Amino acid sequence: MAPRIFDPNRLPTEGATASATARRPDFSEIRRVDWAGYVLVGFFTIPFLVFNVMPVFFGTYVAFTEWRIIGTPEWVGLENFRTAFADKWVAGAFRNVLVYALIIVPGVTCLGLAAALFVNQRWPLATLARTLFFAPYVVSATVIGLIWVWMLDTQFGLVNHYIGYLGIAPIAWLTSPEWSLVGVSIASIWWDMGLAFILFLAALQDIPKDLTEAASVDGAGPPERLWFIILPMMRPVISMVITLQVISTMRIFSQVYVMTNGGPAGSSASPIHYIYQAAIQRNDFGLASAVAILLFLVIIVVAFGLRFVVRERG
Amino acid sequence: MQFPTTSRPSRRRFLKQAGAITGAALATPWLGNRVFAYNKPIEIVHWSWLAASDGEVWAQMIKNFNDAHTDKGIQIRLELVPEEQYTTKVLTAAATGQAPDFGWGTAGKAAQMAKDGVIVPLDDLISASGLDLSDFSDASVLASRYPKYDNKMFMVPMDLMSLQPLLNLDHVAEAGLDPAAPPTDGASLLAWGEAMTKREGDTVTRSGLLMTGSGVHPTVTWGIVAEQMGFERASADLKTAAVNAEAGIKAMEWVLGLFDTAKVATRDVTDRYKAFGVGQGSIFWTGPWTLSGYMKQGLNFASFQMPNIGGTQKTYFEMGGLELYVQSDPGRYEATMEAVRWLSDNSFLWTTAGRGAAPRKSILANPDYKTAGIPWDKRGAFIDGMAIASIPEIPVLDGPEFTIYSGGNFLAKTLEQVWAGISTPEQAMAQLQEGWQKSLDKG
Repeated sequence: MAPRIFDPNRLPTEGATASATARRPDFSEIRRVDWAGYVLVGFFTIPFLVFNVMPVFFGTYVAFTEWRIIGTPEWVGLENFRTAFADKWVAGAFRNVLVYALIIVPGVTCLGLAAALFVNQRWPLATLARTLFFAPYVVSATVIGLIWVWMLDTQFGLVNHYIGYLGIAPIAWLTSPEWSLVGVSIASIWWDMGLAFILFLAALQDIPKDLTEAASVDGAGPPERLWFIILPMMRPVISMVITLQVISTMRIFSQVYVMTNGGPAGSSASPIHYIYQAAIQRNDFGLASAVAILLFLVIIVVAFGLRFVVRERG
Repeated sequence: MQFPTTSRPSRRRFLKQAGAITGAALATPWLGNRVFAYNKPIEIVHWSWLAASDGEVWAQMIKNFNDAHTDKGIQIRLELVPEEQYTTKVLTAAATGQAPDFGWGTAGKAAQMAKDGVIVPLDDLISASGLDLSDFSDASVLASRYPKYDNKMFMVPMDLMSLQPLLNLDHVAEAGLDPAAPPTDGASLLAWGEAMTKREGDTVTRSGLLMTGSGVHPTVTWGIVAEQMGFERASADLKTAAVNAEAGIKAMEWVLGLFDTAKVATRDVTDRYKAFGVGQGSIFWTGPWTLSGYMKQGLNFASFQMPNIGGTQKTYFEMGGLELYVQSDPGRYEATMEAVRWLSDNSFLWTTAGRGAAPRKSILANPDYKTAGIPWDKRGAFIDGMAIASIPEIPVLDGPEFTIYSGGNFLAKTLEQVWAGISTPEQAMAQLQEGWQKSLDKG
């Protein structure tokens, strides 16, 4: 139903098509702007500009100032960046986040892939397994953190209880500088695995059956089918999961905040945790913005680096 | 063929309607406040972070005020703000001219807000409201002032809190100790801790002296012991940092000894409040804000005064009070001060069932003060113990970096390196001295 669009008077007359492309447009037609379209787009664009784009520019400006919300930001040039580079807690947080990435990204990728391969076999209880593997991702990171604080408790935690049967002494997962990063990583892997799993499962179901069947007929066993057919076919999704997971891990915060608050002795702190402390607890918005810019640059470099290391196409 | 056109609005009509709807939506809050304001009582906006069992008592205090002022054209609207976001939200609200009328503060921690004009000096407002300052203890009035900002009062004191040890009476009975004669010095404290500690091999499974391996608890323990040993974070004139550093180093060694030498505590406790509540520790120093929670939980406990571990019996002191925030309409201060005066005059409930000791002499002299609210065997040490509560905040711009009751400030982060064995006490003290001196030099 678009009655006014259909206007017989405005239909091009026979033979007029070619000349119409050549003629100059009528001035009234140029001025005619479909404002309704702008209004509809504006409902998204204006809030996006105000709440997303402007804060980015303002944050960049604040990084070069000293500002504690009250009063006008005072220009200090590169001072906040100097402070950030000289602060051993900033360096520690960036070092930690790289270790997080080294643990969490392979963990999520491998376990997510294994879970997807398992569910894709359609063995009994596969539907239940699919729900269970994805369920943690639906729960908020804060809840996951609180649950894992109890699971990883040194004295009464379930994890230490069960590894005790293997003769392993209780591990101070969250209270020792050596293990706190691993403890937080375990919770993160459990939480993040759900998304990787569902993406891998979708990719597996897209692989044409005749390819794997043909390979079987040619004598390829499960390992050969996985290595020579399934994994190459899934390369774009694996690449995407790794990239998304690296970016997500670089921004890790909730689990750290809830489980260890960055401790002990900063051993599990992350850059976002540092930014939170600087901005919200110390109201040092200049330093917090400077560290946020550094984190942004690191994420950009790592993400572009990954495009070369884990290419979507061979 | 004619198509029906009545259901499709023209572009012009659509834009008009969209504009009208958007305008109405944007104007609604303004209309709500302005057009109908004439028949509304004055509403004082109050922000509070009290969310635990003490929060319930405070909500009752506000309700009592509102009930008593139903026909007097003034009501308080209580809004809860998470404690860690409190200052940031107050600053943001003040910067946009939307600050609440009054809120909770901690004495000595708001020098920056006083400098920025976010909190309002109260001396004139207090005299105009008729609040009797001579009824307040001298210490509480002193703690409400900022010497560097004309020595003005920026807070009406509401409660005096100190850190005192709680004792799990079931553990005491089990160890055959006498609860009527709790530890009074460092040696007896360690002896009691040893008697109530449980171990499996070398591993402590129940701490005689409940500690955590990082965060607030070891920091505040160090702060108390260090000050008892003669250490000062800042000199009295606020010019020199870390006076008597040797004492500070000795106090760090004392805390480390709890874990490594005496082995009466474990670093493996993560949530100290919960741990004491479920019996993972026997002696636990904390503030009066925990009492009603543990009582509701049915925990069998009593309190006693902080022992003299280092030479002079002292403990941490924190004063809570009400601050007035800057308003675009100064006419609101008078009504707000009236509300604060009423809350202070009627703070008997707050200082018997809520938290802390009363700063008002008239309330302390009330014959019912010892029998009302939480039983005296649990509350008494927090009232009588105010006599030894003499470790205050440092009232400078960077005051929060000096506080010993913190889990994430410069002090706590520096000390965590010691508890984790990454730094030596000497290295940590050198860092503290350097960092704090810079802070004092800022003013």
